[in-house]
Amino acid sequence: MQIPGGEKLTERVDELSALYVLTDRLYRARSNHEAFEAGLDAIRDGLGCRRASMLLFDDAGVMRFVAWRGLSDSYRHALAGHSPWKAGERNAEPILVTDIAETSEPASVKDRIASEGIVGLAFIPLMAQGEVVGKFMTYYDQKHSFASHELDLAMTIARQIGFYLERTRAEEARKLTEDELRASEQQFRLMSEHAPVMIWTCDASGKCTNLNSMLREFWGVTSEEIPTFSWHPTIHPDDAADIGARMMEALTTKSSVTVQGRYKNRKGQYRTLLTVARPHFSAKAQFRGLIGVNVDVTESEQAEAALRHSEERFRSAVEAAPSGMVMTDGNGRIILVNLHAEAVFGYKREEMIGHGIEMLVPEQFRSSHPLFRGKYGKRPLARPMGAGRDLYARRKDGSEVPVEIGISPIQTSEGLMTLASIVDISERKRSETQRDLLMAELNHRVKNTLAVVQGIAHQTFRGTAATEAHAAFEGRLMALSAAHNILTQTSWEHASLDQLVSDSLQIRGTFANRVTTSGPAIRLQPNQALSVALALHELLTNAVKYGALSNDAGKVSVEWARTENPKPRLKLIWSELGGPAVSAPSQRGFGSRLIVGGLAADLEAEVAMEFQPQGLVCKIDAPLQEGILAQ
Amino acid sequence: MTTLLGRRVLLVEDESLIAMMANDFLNDLGVEVIGPATSIDAALDLISTHNIDAAVLDVNIRGELSHRVADALRERRIPMVCATGYGHGAADFAKGAPIIDKPYSKEKLANSLHSALSGPQGSGSPSA
Repeated sequence: MQIPGGEKLTERVDELSALYVLTDRLYRARSNHEAFEAGLDAIRDGLGCRRASMLLFDDAGVMRFVAWRGLSDSYRHALAGHSPWKAGERNAEPILVTDIAETSEPASVKDRIASEGIVGLAFIPLMAQGEVVGKFMTYYDQKHSFASHELDLAMTIARQIGFYLERTRAEEARKLTEDELRASEQQFRLMSEHAPVMIWTCDASGKCTNLNSMLREFWGVTSEEIPTFSWHPTIHPDDAADIGARMMEALTTKSSVTVQGRYKNRKGQYRTLLTVARPHFSAKAQFRGLIGVNVDVTESEQAEAALRHSEERFRSAVEAAPSGMVMTDGNGRIILVNLHAEAVFGYKREEMIGHGIEMLVPEQFRSSHPLFRGKYGKRPLARPMGAGRDLYARRKDGSEVPVEIGISPIQTSEGLMTLASIVDISERKRSETQRDLLMAELNHRVKNTLAVVQGIAHQTFRGTAATEAHAAFEGRLMALSAAHNILTQTSWEHASLDQLVSDSLQIRGTFANRVTTSGPAIRLQPNQALSVALALHELLTNAVKYGALSNDAGKVSVEWARTENPKPRLKLIWSELGGPAVSAPSQRGFGSRLIVGGLAADLEAEVAMEFQPQGLVCKIDAPLQEGILAQ
Repeated sequence: MTTLLGRRVLLVEDESLIAMMANDFLNDLGVEVIGPATSIDAALDLISTHNIDAAVLDVNIRGELSHRVADALRERRIPMVCATGYGHGAADFAKGAPIIDKPYSKEKLANSLHSALSGPQGSGSPSA
């Protein structure tokens, strides 16, 4: 160490000058190397030390030489990593060694230092943010005792270098962050560029700053045109005001926005785009604009619109249906009713919708109704409800009306619904009752008239010798009346041949064991039924008087069949067996005339009366009218 | 089988030709005919003034169901035969009494009267 003139003032000036130069050079340093050189120069100029070094902890916490003066390579290699402090240690104090030989360092270290010609040395910690990050060393060829001003200067130099390191580290960190940010932005651009959705960015003023390839393709814009491109004119005029206002609001409030609208693509077609945009902030929380994603929802919009239309059609069909319609969901909640349902139930639709269907069920069936609903839910088929039971609906006023209900399952996007069609059958029931009353009244009058005719005959024949004729007349009248009874049961629509034969021949009564019948079920029209009834009466009367039923052993068989070709015909055969020997009557009596003539006229029947020795056989062959066929 | 001979039977029938015929049928059966009554009031009069064993009652008298007559008869436990053109539709009216379908023969009338007299309200023997 050379101190010119030994003047203390000069020393102080040199020290201050060295510090000033150091500060200036550190400030201007463009690399760590420049900074460390400046440090070594300051040590040399300020402390008058020719040999010095600068070391920093590396990432692994190993002390490494970064700059030096007057040291051999082998020395640096040997001493690299030697440090009295650990990386990051706080409150590290300088270590001043007057003579290395007097320390307790290992002999190998002492030897290596001595062989470099070093006797005295100092360890000055370099601190950044209060932690040891490295050190600088001064070396002396002689024993060196450190003056306090030397130490002060060394500490000041160390502090200056420390500040520099702090600053560069902060800058490095920032640069790293910026690099990372740039890299991630590049990554984002790359990703967004080829993403299968439309992605855009705009700045804080709403100016378009980026469009990914899909969006450029949509609008037919090249990358170069982006700075001058404005998407606003592509918005459908009806949507422009709304979208403009919503985007502006998002920009001014720096918030997210979701808008949907129609945009004209490069082919001039309007497509519906759903846009979701989020605010984008810089690292310093500065609003940089919006990042948005557009999704083309044209098809799904159209599908939705089609669904809406079909739902509207369904609703208007339901609304216009001529019966009460009530739709319920899986829980039995009413979700749709029509105008007619309001009339059937006496509720306004808003009084029904949202409520359970049980509100429309008469009280005595309410508790069991959910059970039926549950069963229906397991086997949902279109069918009439409550088959075989009389159904009633409960009206708002508490009254119950007879109804017919058809239920159908309806599969909807909201699950399985049940659509019930309810018809108020009060009117039908009333008219059925009315018709029954009229029919009964008519029957009563007809029967009364027959009874009056019977009375007239009674008065006419009374006291005359014509008792046989009287009995025949009364018998025929009774046969006619019996046929009427059968027709009355079907409201004069048709008569069952089987029943007609049974009743006419008293098979369930007097002649149970004498008459047998067999044949398929056949319906006869009213006039046919009356003719057949009268004919059977005549045949029976004849059999009782002269034929198989005139003794105790004879039998009568009545068999009929239906033939189809070419047209349906009824073939009925009456045959007697076991009666007295028969011969053809010399003269056709009234009975056979009634049979042959009556049936021929009323049934267009061909009738053959065969008086065979074993008994009478009567064959009737009559057309059956279409539509009045077998049951 | 109970005998009809000498029974007093009220005949209620508004149609004169039918009434005459029924009267003849009943006479032929050896029955003493009370009436015939051709109106409900006349029938009620006869019921309240005569000793009656049974009745042949037309269900419809001059367009009115003859409930009042049926009630009066039931009150007195007089068995009846309901004559009607309504057929089985008259069951509600008859309440278990035999129904005879118009037009009816003398034999059917006799059978119905027999079953009425031997039914729950029948006395089983002449009351006289």
